[in-house]
Amino acid sequence: MKTLIIENIDLKKIGELKTVSRYFCELPDIIALGEGDIPGNYGKAWQSSQTLPPNLVPSIVQLAKLENYEVILLSVSTLGTGLAGPLSAALSAPVVTEVTAIHSDMVIERPIYGGKAIIKQKIESTPVVLTIRRKYFEPEVLEGHTSSIPLNTESEKVQLISEKNEQTDGVPLEDAPVVVSGGRGIGNADNFSLLQTLADQLNGAVGASRGAVDEGWASPTRQIGQTGKIVAPSVYFAVGVSGASQHLAGIANSKCVVAINKDEEANIFNRARFGLVCDYQKIIPQLTQAIKENR
Amino acid sequence: MHIAVLAKVVPDYLVPSMDFELSNNRAHERFSRMLGLYDENAIETAIQIKEKTSGSLTLISYGSENDIQFLRKGAAMGADQLILVKGTSDDAAVIAGNLMAALQSIDNVDLVLAGQQSADMDRGVVPGILAQMLGVPFIPQIGDVDHENGSWTVTQITAQGKRELEFSGPGVLSITSIPENVPRIPAVRAIFAAKKKPVIKLESTDQKKMALNELEVAIPKIECVCEFIDVEDPGQAVRILLNRLNEERYL
Repeated sequence: MKTLIIENIDLKKIGELKTVSRYFCELPDIIALGEGDIPGNYGKAWQSSQTLPPNLVPSIVQLAKLENYEVILLSVSTLGTGLAGPLSAALSAPVVTEVTAIHSDMVIERPIYGGKAIIKQKIESTPVVLTIRRKYFEPEVLEGHTSSIPLNTESEKVQLISEKNEQTDGVPLEDAPVVVSGGRGIGNADNFSLLQTLADQLNGAVGASRGAVDEGWASPTRQIGQTGKIVAPSVYFAVGVSGASQHLAGIANSKCVVAINKDEEANIFNRARFGLVCDYQKIIPQLTQAIKENR
Repeated sequence: MHIAVLAKVVPDYLVPSMDFELSNNRAHERFSRMLGLYDENAIETAIQIKEKTSGSLTLISYGSENDIQFLRKGAAMGADQLILVKGTSDDAAVIAGNLMAALQSIDNVDLVLAGQQSADMDRGVVPGILAQMLGVPFIPQIGDVDHENGSWTVTQITAQGKRELEFSGPGVLSITSIPENVPRIPAVRAIFAAKKKPVIKLESTDQKKMALNELEVAIPKIECVCEFIDVEDPGQAVRILLNRLNEERYL
């Protein structure tokens, strides 16, 4: 099936979509957004420095119709979410978001009800637009580069005024082997420094629940969960995190969850491999110290 | 200034995974119903715009008449009127088409807001489909919204940080949660006043469904047994935890 990947130039994201494309074709085409070389091999490649979906939709629709693409693959991201609905409407294509598994005969799976249930659907016609949830497909190692044709984007419905990326020291949250995450039970923003100290000792990163972000204790870029970042670390420390299903959806692929919570009834213990029912302030500093001494 | 907010009444999204049950491939009817997870953030954002611009706010939903009692929370928060399109479809294109019909039934709408995604089907595509049908921009994951000199300035929360975007004319935005749009709790007086606010009921119209065939809905098995570590002596608890993490090669 003729397949088109649309993604920003990002090794991991494109790698995951390339893996997914194998279910549909041998060699997909790509529209790569942003500056730089396009990593990996493709049938055809287009490139644009334009990264705002409303400005890209007309050109992508035109290209999709011209090339008769049957499958359009996007990541779950601001780009993918921004494109999926409009492309579906413009191409009269079914759209399935947050895909977590693909079977034969165009059968796909995705979570519903905050991950409390999984729906299996069969795609009955093409073209189809799919957005792929991060961390569910092993990224293909992208070798070499592909030269591209410029994608003309004349539409300027939306203007970018400014962009501010947060500087993060150390390993990015999505790729961290250890994540130390704080929820409302942390109590205030200052206490997140305890989690940062522990994460630093483990070469990890600090995350947060939606509740902690809503309180203003952590940046939205730290939010883990269905509508935040999807993580799959070896160890996920859930500190003062109640374990709402929407949060658990973001840590489903973690190998080991360690839950530290005063409330023994907290839902997080249903997902945890190890549980400590106590005030985290009694444990985290000691844990940090013990790891430091063991090095 | 006329803002429309799309809202969906959904089964209680706070039900823990362990207690979740299905009937007829959907959340069991025994679960209470409520406004969606992000819909209240969208309503709060719209109220803030309404207050700044002395505008009006219409809450639009697609669902059953029983949903009206839950939608009234939006009216208590500050919406001026409710529009319910009566329908039962779960199809994103059908929902978007009916929401568009509702939008076209009222005076010129300057901006349409929706929650980032519904708390039942978790798709996040209806606002984007609707925007394309209306021929206006769709921008997801929006925190702040401002209106100055005839243009909208919005803050989009991205994976790396945020960006400021600007556009003119109507658009559709999906709203994410930020500390500044945590939903207000309506006063008792506002709750009573909401009962008198107008509710317009519309019949749903035929729309082309997406070519997706639902095969199965299942509750995933959670195969995880928690090993609780005694914390009476925190130092000892930490040693046991680290030993266990090392034994099982997680660290």
